[in-house]
Amino acid sequence: MTISIRTLGFSAFLIGAAGAVSAAECIAPANPGGGWDFTCRQIGKILHEIGQESAPVQVTNMAGGGGGLAYSHVVNERNDDADLIVAASSATATRLAQNAYAGMTADQVRFVGAIGIDPGVIAVAADSPYMSLKDLVDAALADPGSVAFGGGSAVGGFDHLKPLMILKAAGLEDITMIKYIGLDGGADAVTQTVGGFTQAMTGDISEIVGFLKAGEVRALAVLTEERVPGFDDIPTAKEQGYDVVAGNWRGLYVPRGISDDQFHAWADKLQAVADSDAWAEAMAANGLAPFTMVGDDFQGYIDGLIADINQMSRDIGVIQ
Amino acid sequence: MISDRIFGLVTVIVALAYGVSATSIQTSFLADPVGPHLFPYLIAGVMVLSGLIVMLRPDPDPEWPPMRSVGALAVAVVVLVGYAYALRPMGFLIPTALAAGILSYQISPRVVPAAVTGVSLSVGLFLLFKYALGLGLFAVPRDWLG
Amino acid sequence: MDVFANLAMGFGIAFSPFTLMLAVVGCFLGTIIGALPGLGPSNGVAILIPITFTLGLDATSALVLMTSVYYGAMYGGRISSILLNIPGDEPALMTTLDGYPMAKAGRAGDALVLSGVASFVGALLATMGLMFLAPLLSRIAYQFGPAEYFALYLLAFCTLGGIASNNQAKAAIASCIGLGIAMIGLDNQSGMPRLTFGHLHLMDGVDFLVAIVGLFAVAEVFFFIESHGKDTSIGVKLEKVTIPWRDIFATRWTMLRSTVIGFIAGVLPGAGASLGSFLAYMSEKTIAGEKGGFGTGVAKGVAAPEAGNNAAAGGALVPMLTLGVPGSGTTAVLLALLMTLNITPGPTLFTDRPEVVWGLIASLLIANFVLLLMNVPLVKIFVRVLQVPPWVLLPGVTMISFVGIFSLSGSYFDLLLMVGFGVLGYVLRKLDVPTVPIILGILLGNHMEDSLRRAMVLSGGDWTYLFSSAIAIGLWIAAVAGFVAPMFLRKVLKKPQRVTD
Repeated sequence: MTISIRTLGFSAFLIGAAGAVSAAECIAPANPGGGWDFTCRQIGKILHEIGQESAPVQVTNMAGGGGGLAYSHVVNERNDDADLIVAASSATATRLAQNAYAGMTADQVRFVGAIGIDPGVIAVAADSPYMSLKDLVDAALADPGSVAFGGGSAVGGFDHLKPLMILKAAGLEDITMIKYIGLDGGADAVTQTVGGFTQAMTGDISEIVGFLKAGEVRALAVLTEERVPGFDDIPTAKEQGYDVVAGNWRGLYVPRGISDDQFHAWADKLQAVADSDAWAEAMAANGLAPFTMVGDDFQGYIDGLIADINQMSRDIGVIQ
Repeated sequence: MISDRIFGLVTVIVALAYGVSATSIQTSFLADPVGPHLFPYLIAGVMVLSGLIVMLRPDPDPEWPPMRSVGALAVAVVVLVGYAYALRPMGFLIPTALAAGILSYQISPRVVPAAVTGVSLSVGLFLLFKYALGLGLFAVPRDWLG
Repeated sequence: MDVFANLAMGFGIAFSPFTLMLAVVGCFLGTIIGALPGLGPSNGVAILIPITFTLGLDATSALVLMTSVYYGAMYGGRISSILLNIPGDEPALMTTLDGYPMAKAGRAGDALVLSGVASFVGALLATMGLMFLAPLLSRIAYQFGPAEYFALYLLAFCTLGGIASNNQAKAAIASCIGLGIAMIGLDNQSGMPRLTFGHLHLMDGVDFLVAIVGLFAVAEVFFFIESHGKDTSIGVKLEKVTIPWRDIFATRWTMLRSTVIGFIAGVLPGAGASLGSFLAYMSEKTIAGEKGGFGTGVAKGVAAPEAGNNAAAGGALVPMLTLGVPGSGTTAVLLALLMTLNITPGPTLFTDRPEVVWGLIASLLIANFVLLLMNVPLVKIFVRVLQVPPWVLLPGVTMISFVGIFSLSGSYFDLLLMVGFGVLGYVLRKLDVPTVPIILGILLGNHMEDSLRRAMVLSGGDWTYLFSSAIAIGLWIAAVAGFVAPMFLRKVLKKPQRVTD
């Protein structure tokens, strides 16, 4: 595959225009409005507000290849740029684990940390006969074709993996029998589930908050170790006997080629954002739960996560 | 008549080529019942059919421009393509003044108003984009700035 | 009632100084865009989108700005119809029929004011219609599964294609071009690249903004080069502008009837403002009969098409916001804007993003009053704008288009693609192939395919699932009827040619 980076033109263009002022840049590998864009804009704004960055952080949107374009841009063109941060999430790890970035691997960048997590959730319509995760799993075990899931990611994506992980844990052998449709975001998945076109939705808790309040859906399980603060009446999958933990963390990576000092400087800055009140507010407003892990710990976590997802994707046949 | 027959033929050829290139789409093996091929095939099918209808039942010919206008249009296309390539390496001002001036001359062939239009559009839009809208534009090639 | 609580929230958003300013700026730009021949609402909205986007406005602000432009363009279109006998945009075509004769008879000012008031009545009532009808429509969201959505998208193509062209086969080809382009990029369901030929740049597909600006704005430049610029000197005198109270009072029922007709035409997916003004004019002409003197510069002939086209503009927002299916070419461009802002229009919009919807509706109500002010007492400003010659205007539009697209991606590849779309647009329009279905295809292609494939996943490959509900069957029937009916109606409802005088 020929890798031609044209999108970087404008960022170079902008930076050039800014002249000698070396403002930090945050690349959101997607169009404005999504999770990565949120990460860049919030972290960028807070970094400046709390005085960690003297100039406002320049946010560049570089959509392409599900983040692959930005990834190859950083690896190939900006490998020693210490003023560059890039938004990342579980989706980044999932795609790296499934080799969806055209042969690029996770060790070609450094993961700085995550400072918030959107817990995974399985929900059904309020009038659904399934009262607990066990009801749903039992129905799927008895007749795998009878339960269709709707989620916001493509087939094989993170939302698809969640129910498959649970069913795998419950002992279902032929996981390809489970129907899954990828919709344009969690809200659509909820609508389809409430309308009865799919039997359950798989997504993140932030995607169902509004529908929970309106009483239109029932959350069967959150995929966390402990119950989520503010959603204390939703049981975890773990306490219902299915040991599956999955959340969509929000974080950053930086180029591989920067020095250890520069890497740790970013880790410290990210920690400062995590500790700020502004970030706490941003998280509360967007349904994120606290989850802070920065620096070398996080790199270890990522390595483990990618190995897990890779294994799981092989097991269920998403990749060969 | 003849225009539509040619258009219909081109449509059919393009549609067939599209259908053929759709055969090379890879399928992941967790495929859905329909897969990624069907919809492109449907499109190609409808297009072939419509192309044939246009070939067989053509509308009256449109009024095509005389050769001289075609030449002018070709020049305009070349200017725009050149402008696309020049915009980044050459900065905003010079390519814009040239391209706008030439287009203006092509619409109304008077040299002085066209030149004035080119230069003033270039400078005016630069000021508008750079300062009012805050876009990061280069005025001139970066080398010139030292 | 619910609507009023929501509306209060909307006004809370709309009355912020910044939002108000955007509405005023949008109305102003829109009126200019509408007034200038060769720069219709689709064009104008299309070239402004990349710029709005680069400014980093949030969703509500961007939407307020662009819909103000949209409404403004609908008002502004009449100015050049009346003064130059050249419609500023397609829906204003019908306004030339009586507006220009009225202006030639020395009543240019009266024609401008009367049409401005008619525009206001049409747009205001239509916005209120949107306010009450849209939430009702959005409640049927839960009835729409993949099969229903597939049929709905099909309906949009069939009706837009059926009405936009004089030749069904050509409309179908245009739709297929758009759909075919939409297939390029990562396949939503499997995540595998399709038809990208190994180009990483094509992984995300062809940006619809590139296609829109190319097909509309760049193609327009080619037309002007071919014709060396039309004669745009003002042939009629505009002296003092007074308010013709008697004409306004005499046309009150005409305005109301035309509003209703226009609104309904707007709500139908694919029909849009041109049809709204056409039907409004024709029905008023029929009611007035031979004695009405339509075509000679009568007040009713000026009021009807303007009330009709502005009402249709409001009506077209209903299917766009509630179902994600645009009702006209310009709303297709607005849909592109929403998608750029990561707002998925459709039934969930009203529950997910009430601030966007109600902020928008409140702003539209305010925009109407702003537009009334601009288009009646201040109309002379816009008359002056008409004097910008095409050899300044068109190069300017081109350069704005280039910078707008360039600022989106910074890639010369997109600029080349845009020029390519410009050439394509020129050739297709010469051949009488409508270009709006191409845009619709690029916008809706992936959604349409996804719906089909989701339906097949849920049914396990059973095709009868597509016809498994009453809604789906109804939409299929409407789609077929919408595609076939214009073939027969075309003979009956022959569009009148422009008065060449």
